[in-house]
Amino acid sequence: MFNTVFPYLLTGISVGGQYALIAIGYTMVYGILRLINFAHGDVFMVAGIVMVYLNASGLPLWLSVLLTLLITVVIGFAIERVAYKPLRTAPRMSIMISAIGVSYTLQNLVLYITGGLNQFYPKVSFISDSVTIFGASTKMVTLVTPILTVILVVALVQLINHTKIGMAMRAVSKDFETSQLMGIKINSVISTTFIIGSFLAAVGSMLYFTNYNTVIQTSGAMPGLKAFVAAVFGGIGSIPGAVVGAFIIGICENIIKGLDIILFKAGITKQNLGLATFSDAFTFALLIVILIVKPTGLFGEKTTDKV
Amino acid sequence: MKTKKKFNPAMLWAALVIVLVYVAVFITEQLLPASSMLFTVLKKGATYALVAVSMNLLNGFTGLFSLGQAGFMLIGAYTYAIFTIPVADRMNVYQYYNGGLVQFAMPVVPALIMAGLAAALFAFLIGLPVLRLKSDYLAIATLGFAEIIRAIFQWNKLGALTNGSNILREFPTFNDFNIRNAEGEVTLYLSTLVPFLIAGVCIALIVMLINSTFGRSLRAIKDDEIAAEAMGINLFHHKQMSFCISSFFAGIGGAMLAMYQSTIQAKAFTSAMTYEILLIVVIGGIGSVTGSCISSFLFVACSEWWLRFLDQKQMIGNFEVPLLRNGFRLVVFSIIIMIVVLFFRQGIMGTKELPDLFKRKKKSQQEVKA
Amino acid sequence: MSRNVLKIEHMTMQFGGVVAVHDLSMEINEGEIVALIGPNGAGKTTAFNCVTSVYEPTNGRVSFMGKPIAQNSPNKKMRKIYAGTMPDAFTDKTVRMSPDQVTKLGIARTFQNIRLFGGMTVLENVMTAMHLRRKSNMFTATLHLNMKEEKAMRQKAMDLLETVGLKELQDEMATSLPYGKQRLLEIARALATEPKLLLLDEPAAGMNPQETDELSAFIKRIKDQFNLTVFVIEHHMNLIMEISDRIYVVDFGKLIAEGTPAEIQENPAVIAAYLGGEDE
Repeated sequence: MFNTVFPYLLTGISVGGQYALIAIGYTMVYGILRLINFAHGDVFMVAGIVMVYLNASGLPLWLSVLLTLLITVVIGFAIERVAYKPLRTAPRMSIMISAIGVSYTLQNLVLYITGGLNQFYPKVSFISDSVTIFGASTKMVTLVTPILTVILVVALVQLINHTKIGMAMRAVSKDFETSQLMGIKINSVISTTFIIGSFLAAVGSMLYFTNYNTVIQTSGAMPGLKAFVAAVFGGIGSIPGAVVGAFIIGICENIIKGLDIILFKAGITKQNLGLATFSDAFTFALLIVILIVKPTGLFGEKTTDKV
Repeated sequence: MKTKKKFNPAMLWAALVIVLVYVAVFITEQLLPASSMLFTVLKKGATYALVAVSMNLLNGFTGLFSLGQAGFMLIGAYTYAIFTIPVADRMNVYQYYNGGLVQFAMPVVPALIMAGLAAALFAFLIGLPVLRLKSDYLAIATLGFAEIIRAIFQWNKLGALTNGSNILREFPTFNDFNIRNAEGEVTLYLSTLVPFLIAGVCIALIVMLINSTFGRSLRAIKDDEIAAEAMGINLFHHKQMSFCISSFFAGIGGAMLAMYQSTIQAKAFTSAMTYEILLIVVIGGIGSVTGSCISSFLFVACSEWWLRFLDQKQMIGNFEVPLLRNGFRLVVFSIIIMIVVLFFRQGIMGTKELPDLFKRKKKSQQEVKA
Repeated sequence: MSRNVLKIEHMTMQFGGVVAVHDLSMEINEGEIVALIGPNGAGKTTAFNCVTSVYEPTNGRVSFMGKPIAQNSPNKKMRKIYAGTMPDAFTDKTVRMSPDQVTKLGIARTFQNIRLFGGMTVLENVMTAMHLRRKSNMFTATLHLNMKEEKAMRQKAMDLLETVGLKELQDEMATSLPYGKQRLLEIARALATEPKLLLLDEPAAGMNPQETDELSAFIKRIKDQFNLTVFVIEHHMNLIMEISDRIYVVDFGKLIAEGTPAEIQENPAVIAAYLGGEDE
């Protein structure tokens, strides 16, 4: 039984870590701008494409990695300046639509550049290596991801709780207008949020695509949505919540992928039920359940509308 | 609704324009070859116009930001296909499922209504939990539901009904509306006019709803939920109705999409499809039915026809225009959309409708709300 | 003795640890104009929101024409941090209505921060408030089979607009009206729901002195014309003293005085609360 479940669990933890890195970008942006940044999944995808092209240009790996991080951060920053900043006073629906527009644009841009073909992700030495633990063969990235995720999250939480910019971020997410009046430079806080979010998405993309090998223009859509669900599940605006949510979703999703085999080997079912079809749908079912039972998520704060 | 009930020349002009469009569609269809791109655009445009207007009913007139449109289109498309595939072809279509479960075929119109009803039924069930959610949570929950529906329809255990992840085909398409003689030659082309009629009737119903007592309640909810509730409007009931009606017409739109494409597969009804429709609504103007219709045709024409040249190499004399190759069309298109979203937030029509274009500008009535 | 229209018993409204309304009890009888006054942040609007079911009171009972429309007692989590009195007085049952149900029973309100339907004309704003008394359903409405009813609604809405003096402005967009006229439109809209009890939340706010003078006559007039009972929150003392039969005074959520305008003017606790308020 353990031998059947373990590989799925392992992949689940790994994917969960990758979702977590994307989810933080969602949750931070939502916390500050109350915006579902639909383009965030596509920023993650673009990071993958950038890495493919940098590596193909013959640069050394370490330089490709650094440049990928840098370029992704610049893209994230630019998106905010171009597509969201002009809409700061507009109704929330407009800015959400703008986010969808950016997502559409990024996908089409990548389609144009790549010709719509699957791009093979470069092998990153060490994390692409195979490794065997408890009889399950996997890539090194599976082990690296959760550790790296935890390190980054701890660093981020320290940043938010103990630095000036972190304090500004907390203030802005509590009350946008008041913090503006208190002399906080709102634009630089928002930019910092996007920079951090994009940086983590770029790290996540390296781990994720090392696992999945190929990138295409639509690669970011599903992980993006799932990461957002993870953020809502954990309580939007809460970083630990997003991380916990992401791990839960990653694990559940992979267990469901293997549920047919697990159930079969455990002797519960006699035939293949095709349950793997629901691995994506499950995430959304989970989302809807949490929204109904506890709309503010696991760690979310309750708010009351003012009349 | 906005002015007193008396003879209104603007309404008459608007009606005239609509009739002229239909006559023009009918005549061009008889004259131009059926393979012309124009008809592709018109058929798909009519389909998208209906779906966009149905989405506008929610987003523009009720103020519910729902992103489930692709899911309801999927339900409509499948319901239509499942009920209309001729019995003789079922063995062939459902080859992995022993001919499938349904062993009868319906005429097109009842099947269209079934498509709408099926979508509305799902909407009713989905609405029970999610319509209590606020703006962006509602958006993400409906998006999630669309994804769940997509997975369910691909599940091979339901294959006897849905054909699993395989395509459905052989159901009547728009081309089957052409009238043929005994030799099989087309004597009267109706394959573009009929989708126009279906979409036209549905959109007319939506317009009547918006302009009715009920529609006014919906607009009140959009303007201010708390005030609407304080005026005795039951929020949940009205939202639920609006959601079901919108889905009903999205279902019919889905069935039309099936007719247009002649084959359907659940995996094509992604959230990207919903986004596309949302962008159409935005370009047309959130809160304008006329805008949604116009922008549907523009959107389809640009993406399928007018901007096609951007995807091929073009020579001006000996000079090869740079950048032009496969996919450039979509890049240009995206940029146009972003420009509209950022700088022309009112879209083509704002909240104006066709008759408004014929009204003399009265200072008191126009441009009050920017 | 005239009939009791609104009765509030030991109502407490607590948001987490913040007690906005603290053990408020009051009664309003048929045909009265009763005012609720108090310094800013004293919990007046919160009390209104509890009566109209926008909020669910933490503890206490609100009855309209003898029928409970809201009743609650602090439950598990709230119980621990509950700061009000009498937590066990209303444990027998919980009554929770939605705001539209309350309106249907006959309580209408206006809002302190005007909440008109911005996308509609003045006339449409009033007509929208008549929907709750209409008989047509969605299908007959869509097919425009309810023209007769719609026509009657339009006529009645026009009459109401005439009453408040906005008839000439019927086709203007509601939000384009000047502030004082928007307040009048809010009152017309509330009247369109055919209320027995009208709640006015600072009707004179933003009005100029002349408009305020007219307002007191106006409130008395509509009270008689529509057979209303009026419950009003207001800061404008001249207005309050002129129109009110009785006045309740709250400070920090607590009731500190009640009585006729003359009694209230003499009341030392009220004077202290207001002078204290001005010090802040």
